Amino acid sequence: MEKRNIEFKPNDFELVNATAKIFDTKLDTKPTTFMKDAIRRFCKNKSSVAAALILGILILMSIFVPILSPHDIDTVKTPEKFLEPKLFEAGTGFWDGTREKQHIVYDTVNEVPALSEKYSVDNLKASLVSLTVNPEPELVDNANPYGQGGFIVLATDSKVPGRDVYMSSKRLSFNVKDKYRLHVVFSNEEGVADSRLGEYRVYLKYGDTDEDILVLRDFSRDYSELDVDLSAALEAAGLNSLNAQLYFDVKSSADAYQYVLIERCSFTAAESASNLELLEEASFEDATAMINNADVSSQGYWSCTGRKGIHNSKLYYCDYVIDTYMLVYGNGDLVRYSATDLQSWIEKGWCSYDHKVGPESFQRLSDECPIDEVVSQEITGVTKKLSAITARGWNYRALGYKEMPKYLFGTDASGHDLFKKLFSGLLTSLFLAVVVTAICFIIGIIWGSISGYYGGLTDLLMERFCELLGRIPWIVMMTLFILHFGNNLGVFVVALVAVDWIYTASVARVQFYRFKGREYVLASRTLGAKDKRLIFKHILPNGIGTIITNCVLDIAGVIGLEAQLAYLNLGLQGSHSFGVMLSENQANLSVYPFTIIVPSVVMALIMIALNLFGNGLRDAFNPSLKGSD
Amino acid sequence: MGKYILKRLGLGFITLFLILSITFILVKMLPYARPIGGDQQQIAYFEKQYSLGYVYRFDYAKDEAEFGEPLYVSPVQNGKANYYYNIPALKQYANWVKNIVTKWDWGYSKSYQPNVSASVIIRSRIWVSLRLSLIASIISIPFGILLGIWAALKKNTATDHTISVLVMVGISIPSFILITFLLRIFAYKLGWLPSTWPTDSAAFGTKFKGYIIPVVSLCFGRICSYCRSVRAELCEVLASEYLLLARTKGLTRRQAIVRHALKNAMVPIFPSILAAFIAIFTGSMILETLYSIPGLGRLYLSAITLKDWDLMFVDMAITTAYGMICGIFLDLSYGWIDPRIRMGAKK
Repeated sequence: MEKRNIEFKPNDFELVNATAKIFDTKLDTKPTTFMKDAIRRFCKNKSSVAAALILGILILMSIFVPILSPHDIDTVKTPEKFLEPKLFEAGTGFWDGTREKQHIVYDTVNEVPALSEKYSVDNLKASLVSLTVNPEPELVDNANPYGQGGFIVLATDSKVPGRDVYMSSKRLSFNVKDKYRLHVVFSNEEGVADSRLGEYRVYLKYGDTDEDILVLRDFSRDYSELDVDLSAALEAAGLNSLNAQLYFDVKSSADAYQYVLIERCSFTAAESASNLELLEEASFEDATAMINNADVSSQGYWSCTGRKGIHNSKLYYCDYVIDTYMLVYGNGDLVRYSATDLQSWIEKGWCSYDHKVGPESFQRLSDECPIDEVVSQEITGVTKKLSAITARGWNYRALGYKEMPKYLFGTDASGHDLFKKLFSGLLTSLFLAVVVTAICFIIGIIWGSISGYYGGLTDLLMERFCELLGRIPWIVMMTLFILHFGNNLGVFVVALVAVDWIYTASVARVQFYRFKGREYVLASRTLGAKDKRLIFKHILPNGIGTIITNCVLDIAGVIGLEAQLAYLNLGLQGSHSFGVMLSENQANLSVYPFTIIVPSVVMALIMIALNLFGNGLRDAFNPSLKGSD
Repeated sequence: MGKYILKRLGLGFITLFLILSITFILVKMLPYARPIGGDQQQIAYFEKQYSLGYVYRFDYAKDEAEFGEPLYVSPVQNGKANYYYNIPALKQYANWVKNIVTKWDWGYSKSYQPNVSASVIIRSRIWVSLRLSLIASIISIPFGILLGIWAALKKNTATDHTISVLVMVGISIPSFILITFLLRIFAYKLGWLPSTWPTDSAAFGTKFKGYIIPVVSLCFGRICSYCRSVRAELCEVLASEYLLLARTKGLTRRQAIVRHALKNAMVPIFPSILAAFIAIFTGSMILETLYSIPGLGRLYLSAITLKDWDLMFVDMAITTAYGMICGIFLDLSYGWIDPRIRMGAKK
């Protein structure tokens, strides 16, 4: 290997810093604290920030909506129930307060859909946004009040021969000179459930025995029209006049139930006959109408020993879109107001009226006047003073609104604004959850720190106690609390705390176990620090981040718990709570789904937001994740 | 091991005994609710209670003093009436335990189905709840675990993120909200599934369809929570050094994951499965109410509504005991799944 000689001369070296002193240079990076770092890392997590924003908006709304919204959510307003959510004007097709229904029975007389609630026909017509009537009627075998046509089914109710059944009219009188006629239309249609067309006869019965009859058509399977000149029949039988009932008999048979179908039955007579009106009542043109009148005790009543029903009654159906606001608040219903009311409106200058002239004198002077026109007036007999008027006007004015209300989320079964109810419920639930979590936090920290810090026998005993309590299903614990102490906010807080604190305590205990063996704690102890100082100054500040974030996640749990209790009929009573509102509206799911869907979405939103927010906080405060991103 | 099992079972039963005693006393302290029905039913009820040792009947031959407010006075027969008095809760509890142990007699319903034995009522209802709970477990455990494994293996890819978002949503949404949406969409809007639990006489197809909504709503949250814990555990294990060693010594990725990672990842997951198993039982209470399933949960609610405390207590006892026994068995299964955990071994 080649040998190299290196020589150093004194001039090769020079002092680096012969004149100035060396100082540490200032760090260029900014100093940061644990909190600042946590916030920075939290902000990096986009979804958590979004969740925090949503949460903030929901909390602000739950505080301000109940204060600012003018709607009343305490008194029950049944007429205003189940109004659809409305944001835009009716007819825009989306979020416009209209309700779409399909396959609803159509009232052919009034030409409106047959609704279960009674509204005036004019108002109903004005409220309809669209109406499509199915031109083909459906044939049904029950007597719907809006059905028409069809056949009367007269059927036997046993399969024992000889057990004939009959249908009979009220007693009617006939005589020879007034040209009485009977016209009955039968049908030979098959298709009545488990029965067969059978033998029948038609006769007039005028006495008590079975012989006192005048047979018009004897037992047969002849289903052709029966058109009899009753007067001629009377003459042929040698009778001058007759007081009789018309009978339809159906012969029973052993092999099947027997029936006969009657489409129409009408009596006619010369104009001179005295009982034309009675005859008309006993006649029926429309079988469905006859069955619907069956319970009315009049001449039209037909008694029956067998089964009397309807077959192939025609029922029209329609699809419609209706503006629910117009229906409830619209113009149309006649309302009776006292004269004092009217007088007060006149005094306020809203309208003018002179009862001597009558309804025509009404003049509307201000938009605030609740009525549009006076239909009739009532005058007391002696003093000739006006006592009351019947007027037509916009219903919302009669209900006390200045203008037609608009509910963003619609109304529930009590006619309460869901928007306000939802947020005031949310406020109660959030309040409950925060209070419960805060109490749990305090109890949990105390319990957990004692248990975790002292360890040993203390820890063992406290742990067994927690395990025992924790093993009782929460539903059992809550039930017993509520049954023993009643149902109010205070009991709810205590009961929820009783269920929830064990969890917080266990989290706190784990934190104490984690930090109490650390060197810095040992160092502090060596320097003579007391337990109190070690717990509150050294261990707790390190562990508290985890405990707090667990508490945030716990808020979502408590809100869920409260709602679950409400679904189990143990919900908070006496104040609006979110869970109670949800469970109350659950029953409307099939008919008025908006009442439950909107709150459900909000519930889902708040739960997701709380969980995301809590997870974000947990990640941000978790020291082991520091610097990992 | 045998000694440990015995100790665990023993401790479990002591806990169960304590919990039942506490709840029994608390239930007995509730305001007394008279059975419904006419005198015949009431007499039958109180006679039964007397023979089982839950009430005291005034004995004309022995007793002379007035005891206080009787629970019930029967109509006068043969010149005398029967007076029934309450007896202390602890004594009743002792009799209750004695009756179950010696005669398997769980007491009688007061107003839900008057004078019908509680065990008969429970027996007619327990199977529906158990069946639903089992079906939900059978479906959700494999699905949840598979989804979790998938997400962990594809960590930080689009698949993982999608699954994570779904899991977040699934865990957050309460089950009753989920049922509401399922009912609205599949039962009312589309009409594919029945909107209530089919009756016993329904056709097989309808019965089968009737299971879909309850099972899905039970499974959804479970699958999500299993998936989340499996993913978290597996990610941790996959980053561990022993797995790197396994790869270095020549195992393929598949071998390393199946033989080493999965088995170790499963250990901490078992407690969550246990918790979910119990929760399914109580969680189905709301489901049973909303879907009118004739199970234990709805029975519990009916018992509360009708103030049938005796029946409520039996239901409580069964739910509690079920949870405890599940807990014991799952604790024992730790040793089987992870041999390092020697159950009951000294330090």
